[in-house]
Amino acid sequence: MSRPKKIVLIGHFGVGKTSLIRRFVENTFTKDYKVTIGVHISKKEIHIKGDTPLTLVIWDLEGLDDITKMRTSYLLGTNGFIYVFDLSRPVTYENLEAELEYLKTNYPNTPTKVVGNKMDLVNKAFIEENNGIFTPFVDYYVSAKLGSRVETLFTKLAEALI
Amino acid sequence: MLEFYKASQNEKFQYIIVDNTGTIKESDNGIFSIDNHKRLQEVHPFFEIFTELLVIPNETYEFSCINLNFETQNLVVDISVKTQDNSSIVIIENLTKHYNNYQLAAQGRNESIINSQIIELKNEYLLEKEKFKNNFIANFSHELRNPLTASLIFGNLLSESALNAEQKGYLNIIKSANSDLKQKIEDILDIAKIESGKLALNTSVFSLKAMLQDIVTQHKTLATNKQLEFVSNFDTKLPEFAEGDAYRIKQIFDSLLANAIDFTNSGRISLHVSLNYTRAQKANLQVKVIDTGCGIAPKHHDTIFERFMKIEPDAQSHNGSGLGLAIVKYLITEMGGTIRLDSSLNEGSTFTCNFNVKISSYNSSLKHELLDKQTPERSEKQHILLLEDSELMQLTLLKILAATGQFYVSIISKGEDLISNIIDKDVDLILSSNTIQGFSIADLTTAIRSLPREYKKTPVIALSTEAYKQDIKRFKKAGVTDVIIKPFDEQTLLERINKALK
Repeated sequence: MSRPKKIVLIGHFGVGKTSLIRRFVENTFTKDYKVTIGVHISKKEIHIKGDTPLTLVIWDLEGLDDITKMRTSYLLGTNGFIYVFDLSRPVTYENLEAELEYLKTNYPNTPTKVVGNKMDLVNKAFIEENNGIFTPFVDYYVSAKLGSRVETLFTKLAEALI
Repeated sequence: MLEFYKASQNEKFQYIIVDNTGTIKESDNGIFSIDNHKRLQEVHPFFEIFTELLVIPNETYEFSCINLNFETQNLVVDISVKTQDNSSIVIIENLTKHYNNYQLAAQGRNESIINSQIIELKNEYLLEKEKFKNNFIANFSHELRNPLTASLIFGNLLSESALNAEQKGYLNIIKSANSDLKQKIEDILDIAKIESGKLALNTSVFSLKAMLQDIVTQHKTLATNKQLEFVSNFDTKLPEFAEGDAYRIKQIFDSLLANAIDFTNSGRISLHVSLNYTRAQKANLQVKVIDTGCGIAPKHHDTIFERFMKIEPDAQSHNGSGLGLAIVKYLITEMGGTIRLDSSLNEGSTFTCNFNVKISSYNSSLKHELLDKQTPERSEKQHILLLEDSELMQLTLLKILAATGQFYVSIISKGEDLISNIIDKDVDLILSSNTIQGFSIADLTTAIRSLPREYKKTPVIALSTEAYKQDIKRFKKAGVTDVIIKPFDEQTLLERINKALK
């Protein structure tokens, strides 16, 4: 079995990073918002590409409105990033391009998936209207509440790590 | 004392010695218990990262605010690691209380920021929705104005031709339907103006007595048609001339009386206007409209002045958009007044309202204005240049103007032909639609006003489908002499043309 892979979730506060992890690890969801401070770490073993087992160690970082202010020690040994924004709050994706550029520059070989969460709060027309903002960057539109595409998100990132 | 203090501080720390694979050699278990020989990576997923860190000697790593959740306790700690060749020391400081307090503060702060962002977004959404609705209403009414104007005017022209009784009956139905439609469009536009804060009162001097007389004549006819008695009673102390928005004041009377007639099938309609008091050159008028109609149950009294409020099960059979009373209430409030309803089911209704007008002494400008309404006798025909790209409107206007025998009419349908026509022909007045295939009347008038002296003063009347105050202001600023809002009737058109030609 290969060594565990460290995945770090980053993004503004309130975008649903903790909810995505909870949906993936425990398959649960609560609408109550509890602010994450520092970092919470959880672990899940999955099977990818047929039946290859892989342990994911998932770091749920405190949300920040500026990615450059992240504590660098949290990012030591990171194998993959999930950048999360909230589709229903423009403030969480208005600097999307610059933030992703920062990640690419500072962590050039680290696979990254970009996800718009809270898909349940918007409709397809909204996505189409904002096509220019989202399409160049977004890998998945997900909903932690409904569980849609959450499993796919983690699995596809895991596949990119081996 | 000092020893006691130091001992208590020891409970805040845990020291662990591990080898470079992470296997625990020694732990003082100051915060939580762990077994020697176990790998640190098995204690909590956080320590998985140590597999990579411990193999690099002589490094120091600091991790702050790490949540370590165990079955029996949830800790928030700072962790520092100092690596050596074969063993490393891990120091854990328990700061749970400190970080929990910080969490509470962050919770309040983040919730408040997110809530204000959501409120801002909702507000933006509502403003967008409002803008869309107002644009929709403006465009919708724009599209209806030309055909409705034509329908109103040709209806009137047709009634002057020789028709048999049956045809006259049909025509009256068409005219009545046109009139209802016109009123409904005006009501919807008024509500849109009220909601967007664009309905402003235009004050001018007017003859209150003449207005009341007009109102009586108009509504008495409508009441008589329904076999209703119409009674009016005006206080002799009412000022003869007043200053206020005559159009809106008449709208209040018209709306209340039209409702009363509409909802009364037998009996009487009464209109009483009295002077409540005068103070600081302001007269407070009291208007009572009393009917013997179907009445309104008390449970509906609070909502009757709301938009689209119709309270009868068969209300669809009555005229009106359900907007009239909402507009009346707004107008009265804007005039510093109040409106009240006294009514019971099947016992008729009394609408009582009070509002202010300024008292005006007889004014010479008013005399001129009144005289303007009379059609002058002219010795020579006047030349009107009509700029209109709707064939329906061309035909309608031509029919009205030709019927007077007072005008020559030239018609053009392209904005680019306007200036050459003004110069080539001896034009006395320009009558133009507000938009003509890519041209705005404001732009065209600006061009006219920059022509040589003999042409630049030619009066321009805009026939406008844009009815907002700021539209009219824009036209006037560009030099447009007068603006007639569509739909209009032939009398209004001729009065305004004659006024502009003076």
